[in-house]
Amino acid sequence: MADSKQRHLHCCHGLQILTRLGATLIPPPAAGATQIITPINLILASIFVFVVYLRLKPAVPQTLPRAPPPTVFRTFTPPTLLPYNGLNGMPVYLSVRGRVFDVTSGRNFYGPGGPYANFAGRDASRGLACGSFDEEMLTKDLEGPLDTLEDLGPEEMEAMQGWEERFSEKYLVVGKLVPVGSEEAKASRS
Amino acid sequence: MASILEQVDAKVAEILSGWNIYSSILTVGILGFVGWVIFDTKDEDTHPLLLARQAVASYVRQPGESAIFRSPEKPHGYPLRTGLEVKPPGAPAYTAGKDGDLRDVWRRVAGEIPLDKNSPAGQTGKIMTVFGREDIAEHDIGDLTREIITIGKHLQEHGAKRVAVYLPNSVEFLATVFGAAFYGFSPILIPYNQPHPVLVHLLNETGADALVAEAGSLPLGDVSKEVPGLRQVIWTVEKTSRHMDWNEVPEGIGGKVDVSVWHELVQDQKAPSTVLPQNVAGQVPPSLVFVWQEKPGTEAEIVEFTQNNIVAAIGALISAIPITQRMSPSDTFLPAESLTHCYTLCLTMAALFSHATVAINSVAGHGVDLELAARNISPTVIVASAETTAQLHASTTSSITSSLKKLAHYFETQVLAAGRFPTETFFNRLNAPIRASIGTTPGKLRLLFVSERSGANTPPLSSTDLSDLRVYTGARVVYALTAAKVAGAVAQTNMYDYRIGVGPQNKHSHFGVPLSCLEVKLVDTPSHKTTDDQTLGEVVVRGPSVAGGEVSLGITGMFRDDHTLAYV
Repeated sequence: MADSKQRHLHCCHGLQILTRLGATLIPPPAAGATQIITPINLILASIFVFVVYLRLKPAVPQTLPRAPPPTVFRTFTPPTLLPYNGLNGMPVYLSVRGRVFDVTSGRNFYGPGGPYANFAGRDASRGLACGSFDEEMLTKDLEGPLDTLEDLGPEEMEAMQGWEERFSEKYLVVGKLVPVGSEEAKASRS
Repeated sequence: MASILEQVDAKVAEILSGWNIYSSILTVGILGFVGWVIFDTKDEDTHPLLLARQAVASYVRQPGESAIFRSPEKPHGYPLRTGLEVKPPGAPAYTAGKDGDLRDVWRRVAGEIPLDKNSPAGQTGKIMTVFGREDIAEHDIGDLTREIITIGKHLQEHGAKRVAVYLPNSVEFLATVFGAAFYGFSPILIPYNQPHPVLVHLLNETGADALVAEAGSLPLGDVSKEVPGLRQVIWTVEKTSRHMDWNEVPEGIGGKVDVSVWHELVQDQKAPSTVLPQNVAGQVPPSLVFVWQEKPGTEAEIVEFTQNNIVAAIGALISAIPITQRMSPSDTFLPAESLTHCYTLCLTMAALFSHATVAINSVAGHGVDLELAARNISPTVIVASAETTAQLHASTTSSITSSLKKLAHYFETQVLAAGRFPTETFFNRLNAPIRASIGTTPGKLRLLFVSERSGANTPPLSSTDLSDLRVYTGARVVYALTAAKVAGAVAQTNMYDYRIGVGPQNKHSHFGVPLSCLEVKLVDTPSHKTTDDQTLGEVVVRGPSVAGGEVSLGITGMFRDDHTLAYV
């Protein structure tokens, strides 16, 4: 109670000082003339100047933040492709017939915990051709040659082609898969 | 004690008690100003975010290169524009249309292919020639068709395969180019005003066996001696010199070179017909040969473009302009640059294809004065070179002296920077900035194409210069990057892009978006590499309008944050 009284005494006092200051700075008008400079006129004039300033201020063109940089096309070997299985914040890649697709947008399927999580970071060609997600569809030896799919019949190849077309339409090709020790693997490392 | 609220209330009442006539005036002023701002505010010409990211980058890039950038009209996954999309009369509007070639451009001019289903049948284009200060002659399209048929047949019957055209901008130039398309010979377009030895060198290099030139512009005896392959010469004679006999062959040549005169060939024709030869399936009109030179007399690069290259460029140049702003029958098009420059020729073909009135002035070239070139007409669309435009900018800037005019110029520049095009308002008329006087009627010019030739030492135009030009000409300015081996242009700015000073500023302004007929990538060089933060490298262009499919321009470029192409 006491300090609110003090506060309003201060603010009253301040306003009184201001108006008295205004009155002393400005010579008193001739008797009967209206004053140009009154507090309300000063406030209105400053509003006017501010609005004109806003209007005449040079406009800054709108910019967008820089686009995300494009992914660099990479030559993968099975061991280098393996980390791209969605764990540790890595994107999810899988390979079909030598082309590596970025399936991070299909993380629910191919990412960790998804039904096709076995394919992430691996060569999924045989699995897609045979329509099976079992472990034996994946190449066991990562250092060895890639799965040639020679023993698959025409229906399976057709199924895999259908899958590959679906993938090409939906996902981005970000690399190619070559066996360890091949010419391209050596060239890409240099 | 009264509470705070009552104290404040008393103070406010005290302040408001000082209300007098001046307060009312100020209040009316504020409300009037705010009302005028609301009334005057218009939307920008195009959405600013469309300018904030212009070209479309691919999501994957090869190592050692940048992403591939394309026009937003043809994003990745869609085929690039390959031609004119010519629809035969009566075809439904939703059909894709064929690529076509230059013959279809003339057929559209002659009225055989209608402009659109609403236009009256048989409506033709209009071509006129401006003769200095005296005369404007409008040509009858039927007569021009007869000239094309006569000259084309004459050259075809005499076995000409590569016809050199050494003319300034004229209707005979266009007639020879169209005649070449209909009658199966290659036109070699040689820039005018060459010194004699350079002309002879070019004729030999290109393998010309016929020549169409202006009478008296070259010494026939010397040329025929030094160009052993030359067999046919056709002189074009201006009206004032037609009383002279140009048919005579200088001695020493004998029967080797056959000299004819254009107007006599046209007059002698017994049964004038306007029926153009039909397209034979499987027969493609031969390619066009262009000469790329810094200026006449310097070293020349000879480039051959197929008909597919040219029509892809023409189609892309037509679609680069928004539909409402495209050339239409109400436009007058003036090429103020030589038609031997591929960009100018492609834009002229685009104008003819859109039934705009094409005004041809022989006052045209790299360094010509734009006010002289547009002297007797009121063009609405002009193509000019960077030299011409820089000259116009320099002369108009030097003529602004009073600070009132500078203030008016500043206000219009601010309107441009806000994304709108300044229009004639009350305040504009009170204090108008200095304008360049182009054409007889001021205010008609609406579009100015400026061509920058890469590698030809052209004067730079910064984004401030371009903005000043928009104020001086009252027209939208489009800056295009052109190169020797690319038909049309490599990249062209958006016609609604008036931004000044966005991003790093070079001597040259940015060149905007690649045309929809090609895609651009930047290949790493030892000094300029593409990383995650920047896209730099040597410009490589690929597409249906590029001679040879893919070419490196030999210059270093960059794609800025707003995905526009610029020099480094």
